[in-house]
Amino acid sequence: MTVDVLIIGGGPAGLKSASLLESLGYKVVLIEKESAVGGHIKNWDRLFPDSIDAKEVLDTLIKNVSQSTIKTDKSVKFISKQKNSIYNTQLNSGETILSSALLLTTGFSLFPAQKKEEYGYGVYDGVITNADLESFFKKESKIEIENPSKIGFVHCVGSRDEKAGNKQCSKVCCITAVKQAIELKEMFPNAQIFCFYMDLRMFGRGYEDIYLKAQTEFGVRFIRGRVSEVAGSSNNKVTVKLEDTLASKPMTITLDLLVLMSGMIANKSNDNMLESLSIKMGDDGFVNIESPITDIGKTNIQGVFAAGSILGPKTLPEVIGESASVAFAIDKYLKKNKK
Amino acid sequence: MKERIIFGFDPFVIPFTLGMVFIILYLITGTVRIIFHLSAQERKNLLKLVFSLKLFKTIKEIITDVLLHVKIFKKNLLLGYMHASIAFGWFMLIVIGHVEVLLYIPQRNGVLYYPIFFRYFVMETNQTLRGGFFFFLMDLFLLMVLSGIALAIYKRFKSRRLGMKKTTKHKPGDRIALTALWLIFPLRLLAESFTADISGGSFLTKSVNSIIQLFPSYDALITPIWWAYSISLGIFFFALPFSRYMHIPTEILLIFLRNAGIVSSSSRDGFAETEIYSCSSCGICIDVCPMISVKDKTKFTSVYLIRELRRRKEAALATSSQCLMCNKCVEACPVGIDSTRLKLLKKQEEFATNFFSYINLNNGQNIKEKTSVKEQIFDDKQVVPNKQVVTKDTNIANKETLLYYAGCMTHLTPAIYEALFKILNKASVNYSFMDKDGSICCGRPLILAGAAKHAKSLIEKNREIIKNSGASVLLLSCPICYKVFKEEYNLEGIKILHHSEYINELIKKGKIKIEKTTLNISYHDPCDLGRGSGIYEQPRELLSTVGTLVKPIEEREMSACCGGALASTKFSYEQRNEIVKCALTVLNVQKANVLVTSCPLCLKTFSPIYEKETMDIAQIVYKQMI
Amino acid sequence: MEFGFQLYKEQKVDLDIIDNSIFEKIADSQPDILKCIGCGCCTATCTGGKFTPTQFRKAILLLERGLNDNAFDLLKGCMLCGKCSLVCPRGINTRDIILKFNELYNQSKF
Repeated sequence: MTVDVLIIGGGPAGLKSASLLESLGYKVVLIEKESAVGGHIKNWDRLFPDSIDAKEVLDTLIKNVSQSTIKTDKSVKFISKQKNSIYNTQLNSGETILSSALLLTTGFSLFPAQKKEEYGYGVYDGVITNADLESFFKKESKIEIENPSKIGFVHCVGSRDEKAGNKQCSKVCCITAVKQAIELKEMFPNAQIFCFYMDLRMFGRGYEDIYLKAQTEFGVRFIRGRVSEVAGSSNNKVTVKLEDTLASKPMTITLDLLVLMSGMIANKSNDNMLESLSIKMGDDGFVNIESPITDIGKTNIQGVFAAGSILGPKTLPEVIGESASVAFAIDKYLKKNKK
Repeated sequence: MKERIIFGFDPFVIPFTLGMVFIILYLITGTVRIIFHLSAQERKNLLKLVFSLKLFKTIKEIITDVLLHVKIFKKNLLLGYMHASIAFGWFMLIVIGHVEVLLYIPQRNGVLYYPIFFRYFVMETNQTLRGGFFFFLMDLFLLMVLSGIALAIYKRFKSRRLGMKKTTKHKPGDRIALTALWLIFPLRLLAESFTADISGGSFLTKSVNSIIQLFPSYDALITPIWWAYSISLGIFFFALPFSRYMHIPTEILLIFLRNAGIVSSSSRDGFAETEIYSCSSCGICIDVCPMISVKDKTKFTSVYLIRELRRRKEAALATSSQCLMCNKCVEACPVGIDSTRLKLLKKQEEFATNFFSYINLNNGQNIKEKTSVKEQIFDDKQVVPNKQVVTKDTNIANKETLLYYAGCMTHLTPAIYEALFKILNKASVNYSFMDKDGSICCGRPLILAGAAKHAKSLIEKNREIIKNSGASVLLLSCPICYKVFKEEYNLEGIKILHHSEYINELIKKGKIKIEKTTLNISYHDPCDLGRGSGIYEQPRELLSTVGTLVKPIEEREMSACCGGALASTKFSYEQRNEIVKCALTVLNVQKANVLVTSCPLCLKTFSPIYEKETMDIAQIVYKQMI
Repeated sequence: MEFGFQLYKEQKVDLDIIDNSIFEKIADSQPDILKCIGCGCCTATCTGGKFTPTQFRKAILLLERGLNDNAFDLLKGCMLCGKCSLVCPRGINTRDIILKFNELYNQSKF
């Protein structure tokens, strides 16, 4: 089939740009490798800072895209640029899609927490990730620990960590941790909750307010120190070691539940596709933009655009904003091409 | 045969003779100095060797290593032939030359230069049968040496054909000796060919002679050519002590000392000097060193370290601090030089010892942190007594219980000991977790940093705890600890086992059952477990019950080093990752579904770089345990 | 101005007058020392820290403030086990810094 724009990746970036490009009158196809669109937000419960329901956001995004545009269970097998600047994409199903422009919105991956061996993820029942916790909030899975009375959050798991191979800050984990701490306290009002952080990045509007609320209304204790190791303790608990840097003393604490804030890392499953298109990527695996301030969305290859967390960790409002900007950039490109 | 020159002397022999006298005196003084630097016990052992049957083994080793270079043949046939042809060929030329003098010109027996310049001083116009035989032999060995020299020249341009990717860079002393060496035999060929019609020759020299005869007035060149031959020999001998070729005589002394059980006790004198001068700068250690994957680190390989030690350079300490101490160079060295030990000794000699102190460990007391605020109960001077060295956790009730020591590194990979405990529970083995609340380090990192003296405090303390616990088996999951417990701790009566050995025994005895999978497993030999302790087969036997092992490019004694080694303090994290990537290539991990190690440090080193799963041997067994 | 009583000088760090030449010398040969973000993971995992007041993070800080003797007190119980370098998120070569400090401190004291 022949279209104007092929959008690869059915997360919020892909869905928003699809709806905008459709409303601009273009023929769009959006392919998604899983059986449902939505990307990571279909696994989230409530979004910061205002506790908006993630499902509502996803439903809104999907509603604005016509059914025929979305094709699930489809992934890219091979892409090549033809002589007339048309992109020829072969899918795993054998279909071929010809498009004048490509929009890459394949998003990010979550850092696999078992790679941080010292935290014992996969070894101890009481150690879970932020994703596991969201799934628990959505009542889609169980956690083995019932009625935890002492809960800890470890910030920066797989982020800002040379040893984990990821130098970048994942931006959203700090606010997510504070949000989840509040939500857990709402669920287990008698629990004592701790957040173990290196730095607290409360950069957005309303974030500092949530931080203040967590401290005052929910009694969440914020301890500045990075957790170095976790060991199993009796009764299925875990003992955590860190330094209380502000008091300059090593600290230990035994917890029922430990939540690891896994960071956002580049989605490596797309490396082959990006390399075959000669898309410039950074050392961190995310895609580079030629002029990141004035021309968001344009990669180094003409006709190939990118939006969303494929370009680096970002919040949902930023993703939606970028998608709108890229939709217009694609519009401008296609109009110029038609001449 | 008759003598051609009446007094059996010509001035051209002077350069050679001077060189010969020089080198003989040098060797004698060197040998005396080295033996002087040995301890009394070591000298006694040397004497014992000379008057024992082991002497024959020593002589046999000298023949196979110094003359025939058997170890180099194992690495590459051409390379082996190159070294052996020069060494053996030249040796035979000298021996047969002396035999010739003994048989035909006995009156000149004992004259230093006569056998070397035999073909100048004798006159042989008829081809007698016995003369012809010796001349044939001499020509044959000369051809052998020349073929070796030709290969050596070729190796300078195309070293890969001889199995070497990188070759050693030369110093001026080496270049002079090298040039002289490469000139000696072609000049000998020319010189003997010039006089082949007068003094006799065989297939080689006579053929060249017939070509020479085509040129008129060639006789005028006879004496200059013999001068050139003598001068090149003289230069070679004078340059010998300042070049890599000193290894030729030194290796003989090395083999004697080594067979007498002597090892290096300083980084430069005594046995160490013998090792250092026995290094031929062959460069085989360069190719096997893991450091060469990192830019600009080739200059820190063992061959260059030995050069720095030889010339007593200050840089030797910095070079020693770079070494990962994986022992691949020691394994590959055709002379068997223990360069790791030399580096360790160097670090020890230069270690500033007034810094670290662990006195609090030995007198069982904790020192309170000095605070400027006066405490009401304790003041700064008073110490909190804490004599308890054995807690109820380590006090073992019966001999059946084994004592498990995790060590510093395994605490960062709790998956390893949690899996191990589940395996032990399944096999109904009683165990006690010695360092549950935290370890006193086993002491090996201190030893590797050159602080063996300080390590003694830690070793004494740990030894006390282990002995007082009453255990008969000490189980370890870290090869770094395993090596030091076996070698430095003197735990007689206690069996020291690595968990890969122990779990393998459990499987073989049927105490636990494994469900085999279709997984392709890449197994990495940790340096301290493999080369360091000789445990290669047990982990492989164990893993064969779990899945199929992938064949790597190098394994066992020549296995790659992961790059995480504690011995080196000079690698940045990015530089170590270069070594990791190289090791992953050697392991052929692209064919595997999972990478399995038996060392927590290797695990933490590979895990961030290898995309698929990295596991310890205990983890994969637990996963497949029925 | 005269207050009529003494100012408690030890209470503050006066960046104008500190002498952190040892820190600078270490930074010349091992620039990793400049990378520290003070997360404290090293101190948390320290083997020596179980038995003595050994703390790497604080020691680096004290060196930066020119308090070399205090830094020595916090590092002399180090067993060089290497756990700190394994957990450091900035990939700092901790043991090289400790050994370099060992060398320089010995030169200045003994």
